[in-house]
This record gives sequence, structure tokens and C-alpha cells, in this order.
Amino acid sequence: MSDLLLAVGFGLVVASVLALASVGLSLQFGITNYVNFAYGDFMAVGAYIAWTVNTGPWHLNIWVALVIGSLSVGILAVLLNQFLLAPFARRFQKLFYILIVTFGLSLILLNIVSSIWGDEVQRYSMPDENPFHLGPFLFTGQQLIVIGIAIVLMVLIHLMLTTTRLGKSMRAMSDNTTLAMTSGIDTRRITTFTWFLSGTLAGLAGTVLGITQASITPGSGETFLFVIFAAVIVGGIGSIYGAIIGAVIIGLATEISALFIEASYKLDIAFVILILALLFRPNGLFARAGKA
Amino acid sequence: MSPLVYYLFTLAFFVFAYCILTWGLNLQFGEGGILNFAYIAFVAIGAYITGVTSMGSPIAGQAGSGQTYILGWALPFPIPLILGGLAAAAFALLVAVIAFRRLRTDYLAIVLISLSLVLYDVINNFVPLFNGADGLSNVPEPMADVLGLDANSFVPFFTGVALIVALIMWFLMSRITRSPAGRTLRAIRDDPEAAAALGKNVFRHQLTAMLIGSFYAGVGGGLIIEFSGAFNTSAWLPGETFLIFAAAIVGGIGNNKGMILGALIVPVLFTQLPKFLPDVPGHPALILNVAAMAIGVLLIFVLWFRPQGIIPERRRLSKLPMATPTSAATASAISTPPMVGQDTQ
Amino acid sequence: MSEVAVPDSVPVEGEREVTGEVALACHDIHKSFGGVKAVNDATFSVPKGQITALIGPNGAGKTTVVNILSGAMRCDEGQVTMGDRDITKLPSYQRARLGLIRTFQLSRELGGLTVFENLMVAARVQPGESLLNVYFRRGLVARSERDNKERAAAILEQYGLYELRDSWARELSGGQKRLLEISRAVMAEPTLLLLDEPMAGVNPALIERIGEHIIALKNEGVTVLMVEHNLNVVEMICDHVIVLAEGRTLATGRMSDLRANENVVRAYLGGVLDGRVDS
Repeated sequence: MSDLLLAVGFGLVVASVLALASVGLSLQFGITNYVNFAYGDFMAVGAYIAWTVNTGPWHLNIWVALVIGSLSVGILAVLLNQFLLAPFARRFQKLFYILIVTFGLSLILLNIVSSIWGDEVQRYSMPDENPFHLGPFLFTGQQLIVIGIAIVLMVLIHLMLTTTRLGKSMRAMSDNTTLAMTSGIDTRRITTFTWFLSGTLAGLAGTVLGITQASITPGSGETFLFVIFAAVIVGGIGSIYGAIIGAVIIGLATEISALFIEASYKLDIAFVILILALLFRPNGLFARAGKA
Repeated sequence: MSPLVYYLFTLAFFVFAYCILTWGLNLQFGEGGILNFAYIAFVAIGAYITGVTSMGSPIAGQAGSGQTYILGWALPFPIPLILGGLAAAAFALLVAVIAFRRLRTDYLAIVLISLSLVLYDVINNFVPLFNGADGLSNVPEPMADVLGLDANSFVPFFTGVALIVALIMWFLMSRITRSPAGRTLRAIRDDPEAAAALGKNVFRHQLTAMLIGSFYAGVGGGLIIEFSGAFNTSAWLPGETFLIFAAAIVGGIGNNKGMILGALIVPVLFTQLPKFLPDVPGHPALILNVAAMAIGVLLIFVLWFRPQGIIPERRRLSKLPMATPTSAATASAISTPPMVGQDTQ
Repeated sequence: MSEVAVPDSVPVEGEREVTGEVALACHDIHKSFGGVKAVNDATFSVPKGQITALIGPNGAGKTTVVNILSGAMRCDEGQVTMGDRDITKLPSYQRARLGLIRTFQLSRELGGLTVFENLMVAARVQPGESLLNVYFRRGLVARSERDNKERAAAILEQYGLYELRDSWARELSGGQKRLLEISRAVMAEPTLLLLDEPMAGVNPALIERIGEHIIALKNEGVTVLMVEHNLNVVEMICDHVIVLAEGRTLATGRMSDLRANENVVRAYLGGVLDGRVDS
């Protein structure tokens, strides 16, 4: 039983990382209606920028580095959308053009990261911590901070979506872009902001992933991508709250599965869940009409 | 044989192999509209199955010793190659049955790319399958002992074999693309809902494209492992799928000749050329990184400025006569005496 | 609505009993999108061998009903029958194979194919779609291609598209695309043709031509159901009219009767039933 609770604890940490990443992906998908296949590489860029300011000459505290890494990716995302993605999306009606472009972008970003920072495994400069007991769970302080960050951000995003005009405009756009446009919503501005938010969350997720895994490589974001996809699809593509629930489910499932199967395969469980979801509930838990 | 000639043969081999790979992807994507972002996984399955069916059992202390893998049937060429193709097709069948119904383009792409990543993960970690990250090596050269070939003469020989296989695959593919089956597939690519409204079973046709395209992927992969004698996970990172997409799109999606050009330009030129450039000290992989980036940038450029590729899809002419049917009928009616009561217009 | 059965030579206000065989019918159809009820208990029959119009104000649910009839959408509740056969659960391609061919409101030409290929794709009998035949029964495939080619050529000429036969379908003008859409549907040998606003956005001369084509199809025994806003056209070529409003059947009958029907007039917001293309 205690093993199970321990696994649940770890699962919550993974779920926190996943939730940040999934919400970022979901928000952007809801507005632009196409999947960003370079999302994992956005995560990697954030992780490495944080690493540079954390371990380089500036030697900043990891949490400060986290903020810098996240915001950098937010800005990068805005630029990429402005100069690459939005023009393509405007020009080509068929979905596959933009999907191939994001696929290509993924390759480009991966290699940029690899050429700037090399392929060796890196670590953040953080104090080594011993895990302590919190009730039946075992956490390090850093893990608790990660969970805390995730919870705070989920609450902030929820508040933004429900109370601010910006958030409501985002929701309107996500439901029906044409209607939103004719209602006087500045769709370009909202799209830009959404990319900023998505990129920031990606950078954030990438960095915390590096913190919780205690390692970063250029490809770590990419290889985590399918876990994010699993969370998003299980929760229901296009739904933010679904993404969060999906993240919790997948996070817990992968860690609990490690009790039964070899640890190196635990992320692959996410894929099994993805397939099961597709077979039995393809619209996810919180299906949005028109998105599936 | 001089190293240059040896090298050129090797280059030629890879052009032929990549032609086959690109034709397969073209059938799925260019003709069928299926965005198969996991294509390289099918290539890998073909390679692995070809490998383990041409090598002997791993326990016996011969060619395959030191590795662990499944099967180990030691079958003669070309059976392992065909088995590789069939294995890839079988895998495609499994994937299609689970993922094809009711999935729109990006959902499917998500599932496929996830599949590619997971498969990569599993094969890397689960050693008993295909020897894990080390992969297969010492794959016997096909027909080498039968024909008494040595290391030097094997390369030109097998390049010739690859050429013959490529010609066969070309012939089979052009039959499909010229047929009503190909036409219906293109209709489905353009507008699946409209095609269904005309009575087309979209699932069945896309499944067919998926299966045959995957067969091509498997055969290409099989040829590669037979030629190189080895294959491991470093050869098929998901980014490799992008390479083949780039070859198809740059060459000219929907045109089999374009695929040949694409295969020549992208996988061969872009991956081989960097080898001739000097290494940047301290950054051993930099040239390769730049090459990969260049391919990505090239593809985005082509998509923006010339999405139809270098050799665009052919317009298939009806070969109907200039004169319309009734004017032709009128013409012939005028020259034959009209029967009583029959209209001539 | 009168419940007294009357011989169909006497038009009655409102409902008119449909006699003769029924080609297509829907019963108690319900369909919601999110919270919006688009179709709310729609029930009607399409008489065989006639041209029937489906009219109604915007938002009445006409396109949704057409989608449900053709199988592009599933209804939440209700039944669709074709002749004696219940087709409610059939996917759209199977309905098409039974002879129910539909066109779309926004022309969906297959842009990556030529005009000729667009028609050839629609041919009903194509052994060449099976790869086994492509490889092993070349003669059979060649023969059916020849036959289909002849038919396609004749239809292209009939619709005035012969000169454009080798053009890319995406390069056609709007009116030409509309003609292509209809001619392609004809090529598919429909027993029941579902036209979704065939006259929308088409110039008056072309409207007349398309109207003539539709009448010619009826004379060949094809049942036609057309969604249409242009009430002049409806009056001129349609034998039977079904009025849909707020997702349900409001009235059926001849156009002239329906003009006098208060409910119908009200549904169209104040008597804009004088033949102009309404709002």
C-alpha cells in the first residue's frame, strides 16, 4: 500500500509537468486548430535557456532561470507564429501543409539546440535534496515546488479564462473563430497572446521536466511529446480542463505502472492508454464539438 | 576497385533504396492523403524482420552470436526481403484498424508519431526483440556464398540487385497510380466527404494505400539492412520520416518520377555532401546538425514557393477526341443515309 | 391542416396526402448541436419520380436534414427510409451505392483531378478500383474504363463541359463547378438525387439550363429532392414542396397552395414569398 501511495506521489509530480505542457498545447490548438508538432522542441529550448542562465556565468537560481527560460520560449513562439506559422495557415486551406511545417520546425529546432548546446546529457545546478515524508508520500522540496507551480498556474489560467475579457475572447475564438471575428474580437491579437502563453508553458514544462528528471537532452522534449498527446487526447482535444484531468490520469498511471512493469517502459503506458481511449472513447472525456 | 567507384556504387544503392521508400510514402500521402508521420517505423520493421529472418538463430555460435533477437530463420534471399515488406504491411494493418476510422488528419498524425516514438522506445529497451540499442549486425550478405562474392564485389552486385528491385517496384506502383484505384485514391485525398457521397468506401481505399505503402517501406528497409549488414535505432529516429517527406515534397508529390529526383536530392545529396565538408573543431556533429536544419528549411521554402515540387503531378488526359460525341455522330450520320423517322441532331 | 383525404388533383391548403410510391422518407428526426436543436421532429416523404423542393427560412434546418438523409451526419433520433429499406444506420457511401447521390451547397469539385477524371471517379461500376483486377484482369478494367469514358463524354457534352474535359477542376469558374458537381452526380447513376441549393450564386441563364437538366433527369425516372431558396425556380420545376421551419415540417403541397398558407407565410417573416430570392 505504501508503495502505491509513493507511486501516487511521484505520479502527481509527473502530472504537474504534464498538466503545464498539456494546457499549453491545448490552448494553442483551441485557437489555431492545428497541432504544433514542434511543441516538444519548444520545451527543450526552454530547458536549455534555463540551463544556460543557471549553470553559465550568470549562475542564477534555478527558479529564476525557470522564469527566464519560460518567457524566452513565449517570445520565440510569438515570433515563429508571426513570421512562419500564421502566413502558412492563412495561405493553405489544407491542414497537412501547416502540420508538415511544424514537423519541419521540430527538426530545425532540435538541431539548433543540438548544435548550440551539444548532445551530452546536462543537469541543472540545484542543491541536492533529500526527500522527506509528507503524510504517506515522499517528496523533495523541489518536487513540491513543481507541483505548487502547476497548481498556481492552473488556477491563474482558469481565472483568466473565466473572468478576464481576454480569456473570454479566447474561449469564444476556440468555439467558433468566424463568429468571434465578426463579433469584433481582435483574433490576431488573441492568437499572438495564445502563442505567447503556449510557448511560456512549454518552456516552463520543459524546464520542470529537466528538474524532475534531473537531466536534459536536446531530444527530451520530443520524446515526451507523445505523453502530452496522450493526456490531451484522453482528456478531450480542445478542452483545457480535459487536458488537466488527462494529465493527472496519465501521470498517475505511468508512475503506478512502474510498480508492475520495468521502469524504462512506464512512459509507454501512456501510449497504451492513448490507444485504449481511441478505441473506447475517441472524443475523450470532455469532447468539444467540432474539434474531434 | 577504387574507393571512389565503391563510393559511387554505395551512393547509387541508396538512391534506389530511397526511391522505393519515397514511392511508398507517396502512395500513402501524395495519392492517399494520409499523413503518415510514423513512416520510418515501418521502414525499421522491414529492416529488422529482414534481418532476423536472414540470420541464423542467435544461440548458435555463428553469424548472429553476441546478439539476442527473435526468429532467426536463416532464409535465403529474397524471402527475408519479402517477409520484411509483409511485416511492415501487417503492422500497418494493425495501426489502421485501430486508428483510421473517424480520425481526422491531425489526430491520425498524432497517433502515428506517438506510435513511432513508442516503438522506438520499446525496441531500444526491450533487448530480446532486436538486440536493443545495439541493433542487429553481421547480417549475412545475400547470395554472397552462392556466388562467391567478397566484400569488394558484393557492393556493386547488390547495387544491381537493388536496381532490379526498384524497377519492379516502379512498375507495380505505376500500375496503381494509373488505374481507377489510383484515381479514386486521389479523389479521397482531395475531399473524403465528397468521395463518400459518390459511393467510395474511404476506409477501404486508404487502408489499401496504407498497406501497400508500408510494404514498400518494409522492402526499402530490408534492402538497407541487407546492404549495410547492420541496423540499429540510430538509423530511424522519427526525424528520418521527415527526410522522406522532404524527398517526396521537394521532388514533386504525386509524381513517381518526382520521387526519384527527390530521393536523389534529399536523402542522398543532403546526407552525403556534409561528409565532404571539413569538420568544425570541437563540434563533431555540427555539420550534420546544419544539414538536418537545411533540409527542414528547404522543405519549408519549397512548400511556400513551389508546393507542387520540382516535377509536379501530371495531368492525366482523357484522350477524348476534339469533336464532341454528338457532333461526331452528326458528322457520321450525314455521311450515311438517314433512316426514316430518325433525328439527325 | 386538413385530415380529410382528398384526391390529389384538388389542391388543399396545407398538407397534401402523398400518393404513389415513396422514394425517400424520414420519420421523427431529431438532431442537436451542443445546446441547439437544429432538427426537431422532422417527418416527410419524397414521392418517387417527381421533383420535390425542400424550402424554409434560414436556420430551418434544411442542410442538416439533407446531411442526415445522405448519411453525412447521424440523427440523434428518428428513421430514414429509402423505399422499403431502413437506411438510418448506413454510412453515406453505402447510401450512395444504393443510388442516393447528393450534391453540396458549396461545390466540392475534386480539385486535384481534371474535369474528366471527376466524372470517371463517379462511375458506378469500376472494377479497376480493386487492385486484384488492376494487376490480373487488365482486360476487364480496360473495357469498363472504355464504357465509362463514353458515358462521361456524353454527360460532359450534355452539360457543356466537354471543352473543359482536361482542365483541372480547381480552375473552373463558380458556375462551371456547379455544373460539374451536378453532372458528376448524374454520372453516378442516381435513383434519387439530393441537390443542396443547386441554384445558389448562379446567374439566371445558367439557372434555366440547370432547371432543364433537372427536368430531363426526372423524365428519365430519377427522383429529385432539392433544397432551394429561389421560389420562382421551385414554382417552375417542382411538383411537390416541403416546407421546413424551426427544424420541423411545417407544411407540404404545391407552391401555389403554400403561398396562401398562413403558417408558411409567417415563417418567412411577412410575406416575402413573391419569388425573389428571399433573405
